[in-house]
Amino acid sequence: MARGIGVLIGLSAAAFCQTPNLEGIWTNATVVPLERPANLKGKEFYTPEEAGENAKKVLGITSWERLGSQADVHYNMSQYGLDLSQVKIASTLRTSMIVGPDGRIPPLTSEAQKRAADRAAANRGHQFDSYENRPLQERCLIYSTEGPPMMPGAYNSNLQIIQSPGYVAILQEMIHSARIIPTDASPHLAANIRQWFGDSRGHWEGDTLVVDTTNFTDKNPFHGSSKDLHLIEKFRRLDAHTMLYEFTADDPSTWARPWTAQMTWTTVEGPLFEFACHEGNLGLPNTLSGARAAERAK
Amino acid sequence: MLRLVPLLLCSLASAQTAHPDLNGIWQAMNTANWDIRGHAAGPGPLAQLGAAFAVPPGLGIVEGGELPYLPEAAAKQKENFAHRLERDPEIKCYMPGVPRATYMPYPFQIVQSQKSILISYEFASAVRTINMETAKKAPIDSWMGWSNGHWEGETLVVDVTGLNDQTWFDRAGNFHSDAVHIVERYTIRSPETMSYEATIDDPKVFSRPWKMSMVLYRDVDPHAQLLEFKCVEFVEELMYGPLRKKSK
Repeated sequence: MARGIGVLIGLSAAAFCQTPNLEGIWTNATVVPLERPANLKGKEFYTPEEAGENAKKVLGITSWERLGSQADVHYNMSQYGLDLSQVKIASTLRTSMIVGPDGRIPPLTSEAQKRAADRAAANRGHQFDSYENRPLQERCLIYSTEGPPMMPGAYNSNLQIIQSPGYVAILQEMIHSARIIPTDASPHLAANIRQWFGDSRGHWEGDTLVVDTTNFTDKNPFHGSSKDLHLIEKFRRLDAHTMLYEFTADDPSTWARPWTAQMTWTTVEGPLFEFACHEGNLGLPNTLSGARAAERAK
Repeated sequence: MLRLVPLLLCSLASAQTAHPDLNGIWQAMNTANWDIRGHAAGPGPLAQLGAAFAVPPGLGIVEGGELPYLPEAAAKQKENFAHRLERDPEIKCYMPGVPRATYMPYPFQIVQSQKSILISYEFASAVRTINMETAKKAPIDSWMGWSNGHWEGETLVVDVTGLNDQTWFDRAGNFHSDAVHIVERYTIRSPETMSYEATIDDPKVFSRPWKMSMVLYRDVDPHAQLLEFKCVEFVEELMYGPLRKKSK
């Protein structure tokens, strides 16, 4: 009898102690855009055939066409195997990352429009005056896709998850920062401590890791968001090689309603490489000294 | 409090077969980042900062006290020291490399798993993963190097190669080359302390391998967490200010 109870306790402890395992090296590279193209309005999912055709179309053009760049001089991404057509991509039938019939980010509130306009006006005509006028990514302060939410970039869209009791750590290759998320549902930092990545707290709901992030700054808006952005991320492993990553962005001063996006990650062979952005940043000083030289030549 | 009980039971259940638990937030309590050799107190590099940035004294972490520099390297260290304001990679917020990241005056967090161990350092958000599976050769040189780890009894032994020649050991200009090979040993010595040793072998700079050792302390504050110290924005004026457009 006592042994029976012991076994029972042992079994339930084993089941309880079995924290879902999200570990691995992942990629979030995708052919699916954040917002749904206008011609697919109302169509949330492709058929498998349509998804295949879309992938073929997206992968058939160059990185620069994909990014919508007009520049005639640029990196050759395919030289280093960085082009989207050269990397592993998780398959999905989604026509946009944003879920729901609309598939678009809700319109910016008038307050958010004014914030964005003020920011743009302050920089207009001064884009090359100083490092402060350059994009955060060019300054290696933070990569534009680091988030959170964590978005795929133009290249190196790789992440590694490592877990220990009470923590889930997420290392993004771009640009080498780790998020270490406590999973004890502890309270957020005091409101006066603001961070680039905000302050993330997680907890498990069944096999899903739910991460709540607040305490953002107003320095790196996510599609126009303010420092009051409240972000919920959900991570669920669907099988050995597939993760479903979802985020919901809520910021009443920016959007009239919260919006949700979903993306599929797949495992890739490692390792992650060290992306020493700032340490090798010759682009920023070259840009500024080029601007000064151009002024002198006038 | 109640929600901690199952966690405790789970750790007890898994403890019997597991390796020592290095998880947590750790920090050195020494002044080795100023000079890994024993040193008396001294003035800091900038007179304006007075006592706030003066050099605090320290016993040093180098076993035997002296660094076995080759003659040319000894001269270079002195030159580095003389030019430390322009040359010390810490001033530019560059990733600090191994072993310097361990004893900078910032905490670091270990996230320990079976296949990989992550060490996230607060300074410059520097990070490294220790590969605990089959040892692999460093694919390329990097700032934080390439780490292969294994357990020797109670000790985590980490073999570090693939470091570049851009990082220093301290603010005193002590340095290594890209030939440096480091073996680190992390051993729990009590629930809240760990001993750290690193053997440094660099035939381009030193005449023989040498060893540093220190104690690391766990941050036992229940609210302890790493905060962001993304220092790039604090060095931009220093590095790029001279390229700013002059106001007319």
